[in-house]
Amino acid sequence: METVTLTIDGRPIAVPKGRTVLQAAIEAGISVPYYCYHPGISIDGSCRVCIVKIDKMPKLQTSCSTVCTDGMVVHTQAPDVVEARAGVFEFLLVNHPLDCPVCDKGGECPLQDFSYTFGPAESRMDFPRRVFDGEGVKADVDFGPTLMLNRNRCILCTRCVRFMKEIDGDAQIGIVDRGHGSEIATFQEQGVHSLLSGNLMDVCPVGAILTRDYRFKSRPWDNPAVVDTVCTFCSKGCNTSAWLKGKPEWAKGSRLIRMTPRYNPDVNGYWMCDIGRFNYHWIEGDQRLRRPMLRNGAALEPSAWHDVQSRLRDRLQAAGTTGTSAVQFLVSAHASVEEFFVLKQLLDGVLGNDGMAATTVTWTSSEKPQPDGAKLKVSKANAPNINGARDLGFHVGAGNEGAPDLSRLRAAVENGQVKAVYVIDPGPDGSLGDVSWLIAARQNGTLPLLVVQGVLMTELAAAADIVLAGAAYVEKDAMYVNDQGRLQAASLAVAPPGEALDDWRILVNLGRSLGLTLPYDSAEDVRRTLAAAMPGTPYAEADRQVFTRPVPARNWLQASNPSERWKWDFLYQDLPPVKGHSVQMEGIPAPIAVIPLKPVG
Amino acid sequence: MAYEPILTSQIDQPGSSTLDFYVQRRRGYEGLRKALTLQPNDLIEQVKASGLRGRGGAGFPTGLKWQFVLKDTPKPKYICCNADESEPGTFKDHVLMERNPHLLIEGCAISCYAIGAKVAYIYIRGEFYHVQQILEAEIEKAYKAGFLGKNILGTGFDCDVFVHRGAGAYEAGEETALIESLEGKRAQPRIKPPFPAVAGLYQCPTAVNNVETLCNVPLIVLNGPEWFSAIGPEKNGGPKLFCISGHVKKPGVYEAPMSTTLRELVYDYAGGMLDDRPFKAIIPGGSSVPLLLPDQLDTPASFDGVQKAGSLLGSAGLIVLNDTVCMVWLAMNLLHFYRHESCGKCTPCREGTNWLSQLLERIESGEGRPKDLDLLFGVSNNIVGKTLCAFGDAAATPVLSTMKLFRAEYEAHVREGRCTLPAEWRAKHPVFAGH
Ligand SMILES: Cc1cc2nc3c(=O)[nH]c(=O)nc-3n(C[C@H](O)[C@H](O)[C@H](O)COP(=O)(O)O)c2cc1C
Ligand code: SF4
Ligand code: SF4
Ligand code: FES
Repeated sequence: METVTLTIDGRPIAVPKGRTVLQAAIEAGISVPYYCYHPGISIDGSCRVCIVKIDKMPKLQTSCSTVCTDGMVVHTQAPDVVEARAGVFEFLLVNHPLDCPVCDKGGECPLQDFSYTFGPAESRMDFPRRVFDGEGVKADVDFGPTLMLNRNRCILCTRCVRFMKEIDGDAQIGIVDRGHGSEIATFQEQGVHSLLSGNLMDVCPVGAILTRDYRFKSRPWDNPAVVDTVCTFCSKGCNTSAWLKGKPEWAKGSRLIRMTPRYNPDVNGYWMCDIGRFNYHWIEGDQRLRRPMLRNGAALEPSAWHDVQSRLRDRLQAAGTTGTSAVQFLVSAHASVEEFFVLKQLLDGVLGNDGMAATTVTWTSSEKPQPDGAKLKVSKANAPNINGARDLGFHVGAGNEGAPDLSRLRAAVENGQVKAVYVIDPGPDGSLGDVSWLIAARQNGTLPLLVVQGVLMTELAAAADIVLAGAAYVEKDAMYVNDQGRLQAASLAVAPPGEALDDWRILVNLGRSLGLTLPYDSAEDVRRTLAAAMPGTPYAEADRQVFTRPVPARNWLQASNPSERWKWDFLYQDLPPVKGHSVQMEGIPAPIAVIPLKPVG
Repeated sequence: MAYEPILTSQIDQPGSSTLDFYVQRRRGYEGLRKALTLQPNDLIEQVKASGLRGRGGAGFPTGLKWQFVLKDTPKPKYICCNADESEPGTFKDHVLMERNPHLLIEGCAISCYAIGAKVAYIYIRGEFYHVQQILEAEIEKAYKAGFLGKNILGTGFDCDVFVHRGAGAYEAGEETALIESLEGKRAQPRIKPPFPAVAGLYQCPTAVNNVETLCNVPLIVLNGPEWFSAIGPEKNGGPKLFCISGHVKKPGVYEAPMSTTLRELVYDYAGGMLDDRPFKAIIPGGSSVPLLLPDQLDTPASFDGVQKAGSLLGSAGLIVLNDTVCMVWLAMNLLHFYRHESCGKCTPCREGTNWLSQLLERIESGEGRPKDLDLLFGVSNNIVGKTLCAFGDAAATPVLSTMKLFRAEYEAHVREGRCTLPAEWRAKHPVFAGH
């Protein structure tokens, strides 16, 4: 890689050719503010706060649009830069309402952070501010089904405009009018209708674009912990962060407070889709299974694992654990690599060669309408681990693009050939596809035994004889293999509720009760065995995947700014909550310094 | 005044805009015929040798600009003729296009040939509707006569000229904003580099040139670079149009060499001060440049001469001001314009023009406070040099220049709580478009 060496504030810095001065400064831990610049979208050069002095150039230059050259000498703290920059900050705030106390961006707002650091202590503006739709949160107006817009707070950086044009592929946001009358708008005030809309709250450097989901729900200092996970809503596997609320009682008992994308250049860049972002409420919702249950007549009754396990063993053995179709497994592709691996050993041990034939892997598939030019394309298959199931030897038929074929299982069930169906589904409601036929077969007696190992009290679970409470994707350390065949680690963010158990453990317990030796006491044990069993494949790395824990932030400012999260991933690896866990980021040299932020309060 | 107009010769004759007139009375398209016998590079050399400097405002050498146009590329190249002419006090391109349109058309064709382009776009100011009609009708005739289109004059050279009408924005005259507007986007400038010469219209190499600049090209080809540079002072050669407005007896467009002094332009060409009132100041280059005072009237109206005097020739729009003009009012008036025309893309200009405008209104109306003067100065300086395009500096200039030269007037407004020079010719209720 060709590099160029320049000097910033007296420090020699070598960067790959093509980097801009702003990028070089950020990577070297030298604080230069910026608003219109965002690493994932094109350079605009319009906010003008990133100005620096470069020797041999006549005027101050915007560092975001100046490419580094050998021998360039840059000053970010020269008196004229400091003064000029403060002047731009004063301009940025002349129309800004400074309603930080009621603004959802407050506390994680680049306008706040940078203004404190670089702006003048006071504004000389004494004319009335420009007001668009009212004062305070009254100015929040509908901005499509997922968003609200507060034009008073907008600093017209046009990140949102460029995001829609370049990443979404449909330029729905524009600016109407010009000069100081400029305002963010959509055609006929229709708002943003996009599968990627949530990213707009992340790219917006102020509290102008807000997701309805997060609005008024929390403050950054109330969600000090964040966990790196991987989204499991489609086979793309966007890398994400799960944010946890410090005081769950303030969020109706929920700890998960939002999902944001986590930078991975090879998978999702800086972005994620709205399905993965907003669809997390079920995990801590009322439908969540918290303990195992046994059927007693018409009712399912919560029971102790001990009782449930022996009942399960007895009934499965009664159904006949040998023979071709006596017991059938229906497994959602939401099951993790670990779960498929343990299941396979269970099947091999109990059913021998018939095991795989007795298993059907299922998922749903749907078209996600997106513009042709969309840079982040959501996958059709609504499950994270179809490839993992295939790699471990399960039949996945049509594969990631098509829909699974359940007709053989259905026919066998409806013909009365099947004595028991064991369903494994750690995914959200609907992950299995249409199972009304299965419910009907159990209800009319064609199917004598239905076991559901899942996370929600679905209609299927309600029809079951035995319900086993498992763990949803943020409730366990588990691996999934995405569309690209990439093995990814998703970390536990919240413990499974009540008595619910990690799914691999439920399977191990079942296997043991059936007399198998499944020598696993932890998910790491499973991964270690898997790694040893599959040398020469990506799975050989299974025991080296890194999982994180919710880490309390040393400095909540640094920890809680989702729109700047890419920066920590790249630069601040010595700081919580990103310490040493971002698998793809290893190999990037440790930062020399961190951007000093003024202490708050 | 021995000088014989060249660009504007015979423009008062009936039919001066027609092709017949151009061909029969002005040696029309002979320059093109001659140019097509030369190598494009030689043409560029000729324009360089002539010393022609851009008439759009910056006075940048045209030959050099063409030389920078990337040659080594499979991409098409373009000429964009800047006919947006929106700088206050500027109205020369209007006259050229209305009265002598074929000079521009011929200039476009030769320029295309020189830089290896096949298409020229004339981006014309939205309000110049009837000029556009004339231009388009005459372009049509040029096609029919074989001066445009395919295989021009049997040389194998193809060239199309299209007129594109802007929607009415001063900023659309900034070259990269013009390109954006041509591409169908908002007229907002791009960051430079890349310069249009490398990545301009549709990201292809492009030369953006003013109408008057391109009109000089056929003359240089026809009469030779030495002829051209011999008109006027060194490095400021060639015929030049001056737009004289304000308090003069005969406002209008005048053609003269750049050796002509401001005094001659005001007193000889434009007939002197209106009602013979005393001369107070002149803005020599359109509204965006610093004012000059009576003792600077003997400055030659050349790029270098005016710059040496502390201002800029800009678009050669001379706005003449007599002793009845209140300088605070003048600045306020101009800042209304700049506030209204700021494209809003970059922070200092978008917020600063509005702030300046409000401050000036307050001072002019007598509500100003002593500290407002420092504030006015501070806000202006916070704009200068920090904006994306030259608009920001242009907008701050009227404030900084009037404050520098006439600070006492500002102070008097604040001290007396009223406008101290409320000329009766000023509209009682100024009507400003938009905001
Ligand atoms: C705000 C602004 C407005 C401008 N308007 C015009 C204009 O109306 N006509 C023009 O020829 N140049 C205008 N210019 C200058 C152009 O950007 C460009 O320099 C010029 O068209 C180059 O032509 P020339 O080299 O032939 O002078 C403007 C520049 C700025 C910054
Ligand atoms: S809404 Fe946000 S992202 Fe869009 S221009 Fe305004 S501040 Fe920038
Ligand atoms: S200085 Fe900035 S806001 Fe003003 S016209 Fe130029 S780009 Fe637009
Ligand atoms: S970040 Fe450089 S101008 Fe906005």
